[in-house]
Formats: sequence, structure tokens, C-alpha cells
Amino acid sequence: MNDIKDTEARVNVTFSGANGDLPDPVMFQATDGDIRAWVTEAVRTGGVPGIPAAPNADFSDFVIDRFTATEARPWNLLAVRPKTPFGFATCDHCTECFLKRVGRSCCGCGSKR
Amino acid sequence: MIVIVGVGALGSHLVQFIRNEKVDIKVIDFDRVEQKNVMSQFHGKPGVGKNKVAALQQTMDFLFKRQLAVVSNKLVAENIDALMKGATLVVDCLDNGASRKLVQDYVRKHGLPCLHGALAPGGEFGRSIWDAQFVIDSEVGAGAATCEDGEFLPFIALTAAYMARSIQLFLKDGKKIGFSISPVGAVAI
Repeated sequence: MNDIKDTEARVNVTFSGANGDLPDPVMFQATDGDIRAWVTEAVRTGGVPGIPAAPNADFSDFVIDRFTATEARPWNLLAVRPKTPFGFATCDHCTECFLKRVGRSCCGCGSKR
Repeated sequence: MIVIVGVGALGSHLVQFIRNEKVDIKVIDFDRVEQKNVMSQFHGKPGVGKNKVAALQQTMDFLFKRQLAVVSNKLVAENIDALMKGATLVVDCLDNGASRKLVQDYVRKHGLPCLHGALAPGGEFGRSIWDAQFVIDSEVGAGAATCEDGEFLPFIALTAAYMARSIQLFLKDGKKIGFSISPVGAVAI
């Protein structure tokens, strides 16, 4: 991973609280669909160091951030990550709470807003 | 002056992590401290029932003699000009997309530097990210509940600490370095 060309990017994956890089760089301009497919395959087969194999891993709802190289990080980076919707999901104070979608309250107050 | 919008999970911890910076801090939040907040936010039991900014101001004064400017109004389009007056850095620690959009539109219109903090449900991922790279995630995926107890307190504080580091680097020499944070480490972005 030391020789990443300007047209390539390191792929960093965060999944289920674990984090790791794909062993090889990919084209920076690869499509989101391609990146998701590669990452899904890699995680399912245990091909991402640092992330235990997860045969049912699903990245269809994940976000792919594209970061060009910087002084602090002299290579392009594709970050595959879970969505960070708002702050931390709560109950009756968060109108877009994900718990609303799964239909249960989060703090025992009974609210499903 | 650093203006921090939202002093719940991320914002409350962030304030105490940047307390040594030689810069004025203003905090904006209309919410009040609830019992459950004590489990995961930098609000103590004596603050329950108080406005979060007032409770935080008292805590910071009591523990560190650090003064804060506080605004207990909800940030809306009608007051954002007044509430952001004097800001040289805006920090978004909000918990809803609409308010994040309001802040983002404002800082972009006025050319203000802005750091956003965000957490994924389930305590598996956090972001400390400068506005130029920040996209508001409008949808959420399924995941475990996050506020039933204080299980994610360490990760919330970890994310806030990385935000504080981003701010520290910015105040030192203007560098805008963000971080993608997972429970096992962080990547500079």
C-alpha cells in the first residue's frame, strides 16, 4: 500500500465497529457500485485485515466518501462507512430517529417518534 | 470566538476538551438536561432539568473556572445572524439534519470555517469533518438503540476528543484535518 498512484486510492472500511483497509488500492474514480461490490466481497470472505469475516455483510446502505490527497494524508482515500445521520439517535427529541423506522423506542419512555 | 451549536452527546464533551484553548467559546442549545443524558453526555446530575448551556456553563465554571457565553435559544433562520455574530469558527454538534443544513448554508454563505461532528447509531463510527468535505446523511440505516444506557460513552468522548484535536490543529496553524473514527482507531481525512 506504499505506492499508491495519483489515480488510485486506498479503501478504508468501517464495519460493525471494526476498521481496515482493502489490501490493494483501487482506481479513485471507480463507481460507488463497484466499490461496494469489492468491499462486500472482501468483508464477506475475510479479506480486509482488521475486520472479521462476515458472510452476511451488506454495504448497500453505506456511504462512500471520496477524499483527495492532502499534506497530512498523501494519498487519495475512499472511506466506506455507515451513515452518521444526526447526533446520536434518541427518542422523543429526535424527529428523524432511526428507531422510528424500526418501530421501537430507545430509552424506555414509550415514545416512537 | 468558537461557536458550538449543540451541547448534547458530542458538544458537551467537546467543550471540556477544548477548555485550554485561548479563545472565547459560545455554546448554543435550547434543550434541557434529562436524567438519561447523564449517562452519555458531559452533564451531571445537578444539571438535570436545567437548560443544557446553563448546566454546562456552571459545570465548566465549577470544575475549571472556564467561562462560556451561552445562548439557550433554538437556532433558526430568523436568529442565526445574531447568534453567529463574532464567530471565527463554527462547530456543528447538532442532532438533526435540518439544523445542520441551516448551519452549513450559513457558514458557506459567509465563508466561515466549520467543523462537523457526527455519530452512527450503534457506536460504530464517528466523524470529525470540515465543511468542505461534509455531506449531510439524510437517511439512516437499521441499527441498535444508542441511548438506553451509557454503553457508548467512551466512543462518544473519543469522537469528541478527535474533534477537539481538529480544532486544536486549526487554531494552531489553520490546518483543516478531520478524522474518521471507529472504535479501533482513526484515519486522518
